Amino acid sequence: MALALQTTDLVKEYPRRRSTPVQALRGVSVALETGRTLGIVGESGCGKSTLARLLVGLEAPTSGSVELLGEPLPAHPHRGLLARKIQLVFQDPYSSLDPRLTVSAALGEVLGVHGLAPRGRARQARVEELLAMVALGSRFLQRYPHELSGGQAQRVAVARALAVEPKVLVLDEPTSALDVSVRAEVMNLLVRLQDELRLSYVFISHDLAMVRHVADAIAVMYLGRVVEEGPYDAVLGASLHPYTRALAEAVPTPDPVAEARRRSKPVGEAPAGTGEAPAGCPYNPRCPLAEDICREVRPELLELAPAHRAACHVAARHAGVPSAVLGSPWTA
Amino acid sequence: MRHEETVDPARAATPAAGAPWSAKTPLLSIQDLVVGIRRRREERHIVRGVSLDVAAGEKVGVVGESGSGKTLTMLSVLQLLPPPVRVLSGAVRFGGRDLTRLDDKELAEVRGGEVAMVYQDPMSSLNPLLRIRTQITEALRAHGVDHDAAAVRTREVLGQVGLPDPLRIEAAFPHELSGGMLQRVMVAMALATSPRLLVADEPTTALDVTIQQQILDLVEDLQARTHMAVVWVTHDLGVVARLVDRVVVMYAGRVVEDAPTGRLFERPTHPYTEALLGSLPGPGVGHRSALTQIGGTPPDPSRLPPGCPYRARCPYAFDRCAVEEPPLLDRNGSLAACWKEPELWR
Repeated sequence: MALALQTTDLVKEYPRRRSTPVQALRGVSVALETGRTLGIVGESGCGKSTLARLLVGLEAPTSGSVELLGEPLPAHPHRGLLARKIQLVFQDPYSSLDPRLTVSAALGEVLGVHGLAPRGRARQARVEELLAMVALGSRFLQRYPHELSGGQAQRVAVARALAVEPKVLVLDEPTSALDVSVRAEVMNLLVRLQDELRLSYVFISHDLAMVRHVADAIAVMYLGRVVEEGPYDAVLGASLHPYTRALAEAVPTPDPVAEARRRSKPVGEAPAGTGEAPAGCPYNPRCPLAEDICREVRPELLELAPAHRAACHVAARHAGVPSAVLGSPWTA
Repeated sequence: MRHEETVDPARAATPAAGAPWSAKTPLLSIQDLVVGIRRRREERHIVRGVSLDVAAGEKVGVVGESGSGKTLTMLSVLQLLPPPVRVLSGAVRFGGRDLTRLDDKELAEVRGGEVAMVYQDPMSSLNPLLRIRTQITEALRAHGVDHDAAAVRTREVLGQVGLPDPLRIEAAFPHELSGGMLQRVMVAMALATSPRLLVADEPTTALDVTIQQQILDLVEDLQARTHMAVVWVTHDLGVVARLVDRVVVMYAGRVVEDAPTGRLFERPTHPYTEALLGSLPGPGVGHRSALTQIGGTPPDPSRLPPGCPYRARCPYAFDRCAVEEPPLLDRNGSLAACWKEPELWR
């Protein structure tokens, strides 16, 4: 199947004064098939949001590349016309919408900037069409963001992203700032739009239940790297990496019976992404399965089950795949 | 860690707890609380007559969407409402005293003493210019603990909340600690005076699930040991299922359901509770299938039409719902504010 989006060995470093650079991404290669959803999960500081910014070309990678619809995507300030094809939807709709612009003006502005609809009636018609796509009637045209509920505001933000007819949407925690009661409404809308417009999504979230619900494939990130990826049901149902298991087990489920049986294991805290990663596997200081090799050699991301990859020595051994050659410099 | 066994009250009761534990006299009793704004002769009500009891040692979850009044209700307990919002009527009794009638000096003794509060954002609850040690000892000194004892107690509670290297932590400034560490410092500070009631307002919402798990473990563990009562305000139904004995659901400034946790999740009685639970993705919900939506938008509690405030979004609504707002009624073990016919109760 054709790839909508692909990254190759993305590295992003932020220089610091009198110190080693912050390594936000340490070599991320992910791929998104057309019309599908790639879920990205991980704790704060794992590089999820940096990845989102690189994907849409808001920042240039230190090394590595982003390919959108088969073409290399230039980063800001050279984004060009291709960049229209990928749009970012942020977590908090109120802070991503201009409080002084009505819904009509906000959508019209995008159309004007991109020269997509001439002034007057044609633009007005397109604005109404966009609102209809996100199931908002024309009575919302003259509303200001503060006159919208959280769900309505997020739908306007989605409509604005759709104004330039993108092929890929990067959704950075699109439901996290919303009340539980409106998350379903926004998620249902996103799924419907995906089917109708054949959009591809990168869905970044810490809500594992929601990611599992909508994503076709999931990539789990830890300290700037992908440590597990594969089909959604394999990654969350038959996790290979102990970090993925810890993450999934930490989520309390709305089921008191299951929760009463819970025996949670403390997993420790992720180190701040600023310093050097520990030698060997970056997860080894928190890992209950860590062995000697894990403290010495960094595991490669290897295919351990069909289309299901993980970077873990222990999982690799269970799968009968050699994970590393001790002492070889390229694995360190 | 999960502590399901009942804790021996003799062992659990802290010396500061004073009164013996009894399930019959509530520790905290909120009665007909009305919170809002009064301008000249016009009143706007945001919390519209909330009654809520919390027994000693009980863990209660308060859930509801933004604007439901859950935070304002709990802020009323400590009289911390942001002006011009204030308690317009009703009572908040704690250990027999009406907290709405205390003067500032008496309130200062209760706040951070017998009743402690932990908020969502630890960074904004701590003074960025003071070391952690100074902030916790200050709180203890304010409640009459002498200097040396306060220093000892500070170190002790920092150890209790599982912070590694308490000596380094107590000398640190807030910006030197991670969000998870800061929230544990907040819990440590709240626990320093051995409160009988801990009110936590979305304390884990801004944290990663792994850190949330640690905080939940910690509070469960400390609650089982000290037998303090806990009121946990949240919108996360998973956290509620995990932590509390009883759930209070708020909607449009009122309690609409009040039920034991197991009962609520198994058989929600109020249509709003049912819709909330039904909207979550999870087992039994097909991949990418449409989640159950709650139609419409929450009403503005200060401008409600007559009748039940949920009726515009309610699939069960009938003529009576438009006329009369339902009071909390006993529905086979759940209290629910709903006129729904008995054959529709679950």
